[in-house]
Amino acid sequence: MSDNASTNPNTGGAVAARRFASRAARNTSALAGGAVLLVVLFVALAAPLLAPHDPYAHDLSRRLLPPIFYPGHDPSHLLGTDGFGRDYLSRLIYGARISLLIGVSVMLISGLIGTVLGLVAGYFGGRIDQAVMFVINTRLALPVFLVAMAVVVVLGASLWGTIITLGLFLWDRFAVVVRSATQQIVSQDYVTAAKSIGCSHGTILVHEILPNVMNAVVVVGTIEMAYAILLEAALSFLGFGVQEPTASWGLMLAQARQYLFFDAWLLYIPGAALFLVVLCINLFGDGLRDLLGLGEDA
Amino acid sequence: MLQFVAKRLVSAFLTLLLVSVLTFSLAHLAGDPAIAVAGKEASAEDIARIRAYYGFDRPIVVQYLAWCGRAVVGDFGMSYHYQQPVSDMLATRLPITLSLGVASLVFALVLSLPLGVVAAIRRGSVIDRFCLFLAVVGQAMPTFWLALLMIVFFSLTLQWLPVSGNSSWQNFVMPTIALGYFAAPALMRLTRAGMIDALESDYIRTAWAKGLRPFSVLFKHALRNVMIPIVSVSAVQLGAMLAGSIVVEQIFALQGIGWLGYDATLRSDLPVVQAITLIIAAFYVLLTLAADLINAALDPRIRIA
Repeated sequence: MSDNASTNPNTGGAVAARRFASRAARNTSALAGGAVLLVVLFVALAAPLLAPHDPYAHDLSRRLLPPIFYPGHDPSHLLGTDGFGRDYLSRLIYGARISLLIGVSVMLISGLIGTVLGLVAGYFGGRIDQAVMFVINTRLALPVFLVAMAVVVVLGASLWGTIITLGLFLWDRFAVVVRSATQQIVSQDYVTAAKSIGCSHGTILVHEILPNVMNAVVVVGTIEMAYAILLEAALSFLGFGVQEPTASWGLMLAQARQYLFFDAWLLYIPGAALFLVVLCINLFGDGLRDLLGLGEDA
Repeated sequence: MLQFVAKRLVSAFLTLLLVSVLTFSLAHLAGDPAIAVAGKEASAEDIARIRAYYGFDRPIVVQYLAWCGRAVVGDFGMSYHYQQPVSDMLATRLPITLSLGVASLVFALVLSLPLGVVAAIRRGSVIDRFCLFLAVVGQAMPTFWLALLMIVFFSLTLQWLPVSGNSSWQNFVMPTIALGYFAAPALMRLTRAGMIDALESDYIRTAWAKGLRPFSVLFKHALRNVMIPIVSVSAVQLGAMLAGSIVVEQIFALQGIGWLGYDATLRSDLPVVQAITLIIAAFYVLLTLAADLINAALDPRIRIA
C-alpha cells in the first residue's frame, strides 16, 4: 500500500527524506507519546531528586490522606498517602523506575533470543526452520501467565526473577517477525553477492541481514515492552512479582484493593499511570511503524 | 487436503509432547516434591514414606512416562493439598472458564466486527477515528485495573452487579467484559484492514457493477475474505483468554480453572498446576488446529501451499 520512494528511479533521497519528515509531523500522537515517555524516563531516572518524601517511610498517624483533588487533603502529600502512611506520589515516582526497568530489560532479553532464532530460521530454512517453528509453536501453546507464576515460585519472587522469567517467554513475536523479514531478504542480490565472494554465514547474518531487519525488531520491541510492563503489573498484583516494600504500580493496585469502597482514588492513581505509560509506548510504536513504512504484522 | 491434515496433526501432537515434557520438568525443578507434599516440618521417615507412596523414588523418565500415560486417559493424579483426584477438580471448574472464554470471545467479536466494517466503509470519518481511538485505548488498558474500576462503578457505586461469585449470569457480566475487551482492538484492526483491501479489489468493483445490493456486496462478498484471518486470530485469542483468565477469575472470585491455577500455584500443588498447564496448552493446540482446518476449507490455496 505505501509506495517506497527509494525504489522509484525518478525520485531521489531528498524526496524520501521530505516524505519521512512530513509523515513524522503528521503523526502528532506518536510524537506526543514519545514526549510523555521521555518525561516518564526522566522522572524515573531522577526519582531520588524528585520524590518529595521517602517512598518507604511509614507514618501510621497519617494513613490514607486523600490526594489534592479531594477535600481534606494535606498540601505536603500531593497524591495523599497509602494504608501505611507512605507518600503516594513518591511511591508512584519510584514505581515508574520498576516499570521502565522491567520493560527495557525484558525487551532486551527477549529481543536477543527472538532475533537470533528468527535470523537462523529465516536464513538457513529447511530443517532448522522447521525446528525453530516447532519451538515457537510450543512456546505459544504454553499459558504464559500460569507458567510465569510457577517459574517465579521456583526462582523466588523478586524483581530479577520476574525480569528473567518474562524475558524467557516474550520472544515469540520477535522470532516470527524476524524470521519472515529474513526470508524476504535472503533472496536479495546483495546477499547472493556476499555468498559468492565467500563470506561466512555469521558475517552475512550480522552485516547483511541484521541491519535490514532492525527496523522490524525495534517496532516489535515497543510492543513487547508494553506487554512486559502490563504482565509485571499483573504478576505483582497477584503477589507473584515484585515484593513489598518495593514500589511497583501493580503492587500499589493490589494494596488499593482493600480500600475500594471508601478510598477508590488509591486505585485510580497507579492504574492511570500504568495506562498512560503503556498507551504512550503503543502510540510511539505505531508512529515508528508508520515512519519506517512497515506493515501491520510487524 | 489429506496430506495437509496429517501434517498439522503430527505437528500438533509433537507440540503437546514437548509441552508435557516442559510441564513435567518444571514441577521437578521446583525441588523435592516429597517435601512439598509432606510440608517443611515433616520427619525423614514421613518424607521417605511419601516418596515411596507417590513413586518419587523411581527414575525420572519412568515417572514421566507413568504421568503421561495416565494423563492421556484423563487421570492427573491426586491434588497434594485437597487430596482429591485432579480430574474431578478440573471437571467442576472447566465449564466455568470455558463459558467465560466463549462469552468473552463473542463479546469481542460483537464489538469489533461491526465497528471494523463501518470504519472501513467510512474511512477517515469521525466513526473511523473513534474506532481507532477505542482500539488504542483498549490495547493500553490493564485488564485487572479495568476489572477493579468496574467493581467500583457497577457494584459499589451503582450496585447493579454482584462483586463476586458464580451463581448467576450477572456474575459473568463484568468478567466477560474484562477478559473480552482486550481481544477487540486486534480483531477490529484486522477487520478494518481486510475490508479496505477487499473493497478496493476488482471483484468487489465487479459486484457493484453488477448492481448487487450493498448488503450482499459488503457481507456476502467482502466480509467473507476477512473471515480467514479473523478465524485464525479468534482461535488464538480464545486460547489466550483461557490462559489469561487467572487474573479476572481471581478478582471476581469466579472459581474456574484460572482461579484453581492461582490457588494451586500459591500452595505449590504441583499435580494441579501441571494438569491445568497441559489442558490449556491442549486447548490452544486444538483451537489453532481447528482454525487451520477451517481456513483450509475456506481457502483452497492454503491446503495446497
